[in-house]
Amino acid sequence: MSGPGFGGWLADRLGWSGLRAGLEAHRAPRRGFVFYLGGITLFLLLMEVASGILLLLHYRADVTQAHESVSRIVGEIPYGDLIRGVHAWSSDLFVACLLAHMFIVVLRRSFKPPHELTWLSGQAALVISIGLAFTGAILPWSEAAYTHARTGSELARSVPFIGESLFRFMRGGSEVGAATLQHAFGFHVAALPALATLLVAGHLFFLSRRPALDPQPEATASETMPLYPDFIVRQAVAWTGVLVLVMTLAIFVDRPLGPAADARLPSIGARAPWYFAPFHELIKMSPRELLGIDGPRFLVGAACAFGVIVIALPFLDPRGSKLNVYVAWGVLIVLTLLGARAYL
Amino acid sequence: MSEQEGNSPPRRNFLSLAVAGSATAFATAMAYPVARFANPETPGARGSGPATVGKLEDFPVGTAKTVLANERPVLVLRAADGQFRAFSAICTHLQCVVGWSAERNQIECPCHGGVYSADGQRVAGPPPRGLTELTVTLNEGSVIVSETA
Repeated sequence: MSGPGFGGWLADRLGWSGLRAGLEAHRAPRRGFVFYLGGITLFLLLMEVASGILLLLHYRADVTQAHESVSRIVGEIPYGDLIRGVHAWSSDLFVACLLAHMFIVVLRRSFKPPHELTWLSGQAALVISIGLAFTGAILPWSEAAYTHARTGSELARSVPFIGESLFRFMRGGSEVGAATLQHAFGFHVAALPALATLLVAGHLFFLSRRPALDPQPEATASETMPLYPDFIVRQAVAWTGVLVLVMTLAIFVDRPLGPAADARLPSIGARAPWYFAPFHELIKMSPRELLGIDGPRFLVGAACAFGVIVIALPFLDPRGSKLNVYVAWGVLIVLTLLGARAYL
Repeated sequence: MSEQEGNSPPRRNFLSLAVAGSATAFATAMAYPVARFANPETPGARGSGPATVGKLEDFPVGTAKTVLANERPVLVLRAADGQFRAFSAICTHLQCVVGWSAERNQIECPCHGGVYSADGQRVAGPPPRGLTELTVTLNEGSVIVSETA
């Protein structure tokens, strides 16, 4: 198996023939773009890490300097607007692909036992991703970032049981200020990426122990292909396409920074990131009271309850009923309508 | 070492339990210092103290101005008769910062359309209650804002 030269040496030291045989034994579905979404999400996460490390070279996490440092990145530092654009667009696409990946898993009911650990690690990664999105949006310390920190932490306060602690923790105290930015920064660049890395590693490990498809099931052999090289090479092609898309968006579509935060100015009309927009719209539409509870508080509680049900899906519905598919489509349609309402 | 000693299940169970117990006890004992370190502010400590927000001449008669008191935005209104009134400029709905509208003579929240009257009462929109009123005192030309007792 191992040939001459450096390649042969490396293959020998890595035990490549064994690795290769293992990868070849795994089967991947032959048709369908949806099966590449997980890998694309991983690729976008890598893009986030790479561009994030670069932004760290010039970003300053201090309320008096943060906004200025970001406008310097965008305006003065060579290719700074490109790097920030890549970071911003990859993050949007990352969330989109992550949600799409999850949606497909629910539609195909791939969360069923024995895939509980894969599902749970994916759900935990989703929670961490929400944390990354929330903290990342605070870092530019623009007027929008400041409003985002205020309203986001206030909504988190309504989370049942842990709300008050979460609120104080997100703000680094009772008020949005220097401590809020410091907390957001530390978690955005250190704690949350480390957790995300562990969770993704776990996700892939659990998947490798309990593959989504049985190895070589006779009946479906024609509908599958070996994970290596067939699937992984196609995945690499998909990654290249995503890279082109991100670069194109970063070069041609501007991501305005907006004015610096000033707590003395009235908040500019809050516009949530698109993935929070449906929920934000729901909050805006909500009456002041629902079932005798403060409206936003009720909605946050309901969202948390829904989240717990989703996380527990493999245990609540181990056989994967068809109901999930209808509910998933229903949720998608409602969220799309709400999101569309926010932008019209 | 006799086999009985080395592999005796009760002893092994005891050791496992002791290790697990110590680890749990240590983790529990560390939780409080970690939580306090992460969140050093004593509840209610900030914002309760009086804060000097400017000089008398900074607040012309018949105008409104938002200032920061202990990092918190405070809306200071000075009526035509020279009287001061101050409100926490934090909307009671989702904590956006509210602003004074001179044209409409009311306090407005731009985020979700909450409206308050000039005396801080809720008029329209999603806020569940009125703005928190603060006490304004004057001391040798300095304007001091403090929480109403």
